[in-house]
Amino acid sequence: MSSGTQSTTSTLPETIDRSKGTSRTGIYVAIAIVVIVVIILGTGYYGAGWFKTSSTTTKSTGCTLPAATSLSGAGSTLVAPLMIAWSLAYTASTVNYASVGSGAGISDITAKTVDYGASDAPLSPTQRAAIPSPGVATIPESAGAVVPIYNLPTVGATLKFTGQILAAIYLEDITNWNNTALQAVNPGVTLPNAAIVVVHRSDGSGTTFVFSSYLSSANATWKSTLGFGTTVNWPAGEVGSKGNSGVTTTVKSTADAIGYVDINYALTNSVSYGSVQNPAGNFVLANVSNIASAIKDANPTLPPGTGDWYNVSVQNAPGAHDYPIATLTYVFVYTDLGTAYGSSYTQGKAQNLVDFLAWIVNATQGQTYSEGLYYIPLASAVISADLVTIAGIHYNGAKLTACVPSIVG
Amino acid sequence: MTAANPFPSLPTHGTRKVSKWGDRIFVALTGIAAAGILALLVALVAVLYNGSKSSIQVLGFTFLYTTVWNPVGNVYGVVPFLVGTLLTSSVSLLISIPLSLGAAIFLTQQAPAWLRDPVGQLIELLAAIPSIVYGFWGLIVLVPIMRLTIEPALKLYLGWTGLFVGTPIGLDYLTASVVLAVMTIPTITAISRDSIAAVPRSQKEAALSLGATDWEVTRNAVLPYARSGIIAGIVLGLGRALGETMAVLLVIGNSPYLPKSLISQGATISTVIANDFFENAGPFELSALIEAGLILLVVTLVINIGARVILARFQLGRGGMAE
Repeated sequence: MSSGTQSTTSTLPETIDRSKGTSRTGIYVAIAIVVIVVIILGTGYYGAGWFKTSSTTTKSTGCTLPAATSLSGAGSTLVAPLMIAWSLAYTASTVNYASVGSGAGISDITAKTVDYGASDAPLSPTQRAAIPSPGVATIPESAGAVVPIYNLPTVGATLKFTGQILAAIYLEDITNWNNTALQAVNPGVTLPNAAIVVVHRSDGSGTTFVFSSYLSSANATWKSTLGFGTTVNWPAGEVGSKGNSGVTTTVKSTADAIGYVDINYALTNSVSYGSVQNPAGNFVLANVSNIASAIKDANPTLPPGTGDWYNVSVQNAPGAHDYPIATLTYVFVYTDLGTAYGSSYTQGKAQNLVDFLAWIVNATQGQTYSEGLYYIPLASAVISADLVTIAGIHYNGAKLTACVPSIVG
Repeated sequence: MTAANPFPSLPTHGTRKVSKWGDRIFVALTGIAAAGILALLVALVAVLYNGSKSSIQVLGFTFLYTTVWNPVGNVYGVVPFLVGTLLTSSVSLLISIPLSLGAAIFLTQQAPAWLRDPVGQLIELLAAIPSIVYGFWGLIVLVPIMRLTIEPALKLYLGWTGLFVGTPIGLDYLTASVVLAVMTIPTITAISRDSIAAVPRSQKEAALSLGATDWEVTRNAVLPYARSGIIAGIVLGLGRALGETMAVLLVIGNSPYLPKSLISQGATISTVIANDFFENAGPFELSALIEAGLILLVVTLVINIGARVILARFQLGRGGMAE
């Protein structure tokens, strides 16, 4: 098209269309813009140290490890930062983790396309029934907590919430920040006269599972109308955002908003989060130690690895300073790897997988990566239960004894 | 002929035979390529239909006219999302068509020559920006502006229309439409500009010689001639708006309810698929999501075919003045 018009304009250069000179100018301008952007970004990243290489030292292993193979896992986005830190650090095998969401992690392990699946919610009875023989073991590998985040620019103090109030806000019973119930638990705080913008997860999520099961335990109306699950039937007039990071971003950029995310998203994005009243009556602001103590004090009766974990809860722990909305996150692994995956799955690979699982739950190895990333190290009772489960993983009926490589320390 | 033949050593009939075979292979190959694309479309529809079978069998036509989408109760109706898709796309076009046409006319008719190319290329650059970047810009920059300035003003002055009922949050149909408008402007502008630039000088000169003003030249000589190109640009823009997922997802508020007004939270077919696909409540919701995808495909096809019919009518009306 343009070549045709150019030939007509060449006879009458004072009107219409581009001439050759200006088209060159355009290209020069475009090149100049690209060069400037690249230089700015380049110096910025260089200054930020992105091009500096880091090195990790691997200590000699304590026992004989089989040749390294490649392991793959998929699932939870909540636990992804920790999983990625583990796969970068772990040297005895190559571990790839795809952060695709808990639901996808469960479908992937059901379809046997990965070596392990990760989810923040335990398997529901229906999901458990869908898993082919020989079935999977549930291994809690880390822990976290869900915190209420909010954006109130005029409020400097940390807000206090109760389970009742959080449920009422998400049920749209409390619609304004200066509500009397909210004011009653926050004496001395000047709450703005502003409508609450309620933000929840738009995708199905383990975080929603944890938060909605907590609200079910705190509020009878919630329990009977919305219940709990990876997604619930949110009332109209609320805002949905995708992923923990989506909720964080929406709350951060929207004044008068409230949301709920895993604590590491609140801390790494420095967004305000409130304290929550625990069963002992104290308002507790979540941190690594009071979540860890909550999981210890909740002391849930852990079923065997192959059992039903759907009702395992570490919420509402009785301790005076325990944070009430704590949760375990899980990996799922087939109990007999040879039978599950068939002959192409070597015993060496099965051994690699068992070693990796034993390494991540080890208190002086994998678990030491938790705190730097704001995850909660497992309580010793949970680790012992995990080790029993891992010892129960077989290869065509043969027992696999885990050999934990010593990478840390 | 023989004197001009650059390969005199080859007999003419021999060359013909070889070139005939080459042509046959060429025709076969291009035919396979074309058939492959058709087969892809058929396979796509087949896979979508197959995946949505259980939802089609159980829900039947209720899927197409009910307005409740509730994964917990396992009840699915596509209407809120269909309305969301059509509403955001049409509002975005209402915003982007006048702006794009204005920009295209300015760049081809009024702008000084030194300005045309740099600005034109910048606009084309805008068309190449990934949609997620627009979405992010929408969430960080546009949402606060919509919430604090534009939506309260619209409520105050145009509240009587009933289009702006509710608390302005900034995450709603209107913001999604504005983001979509910003995304479709470069597409529509670039194609309209090319199409307007292709209008023969004789058309404009004829109008000018009759004493027409700039506006009259544009209105009576340029736009009618460039009409089919402009419509093609609008259809491309509409296609982008209908299927856009991530940018809309970030700013629409993701709520599975019918719109109460332009400033209520909502969802489109593509956003609900993106949100729920990986972490669906179960195989039945998955099936319903795939059926929603099928509906979106059908809607896109219908709109495209409709646009082609309009284009064909305009081209007929232009009496053979094809570009």
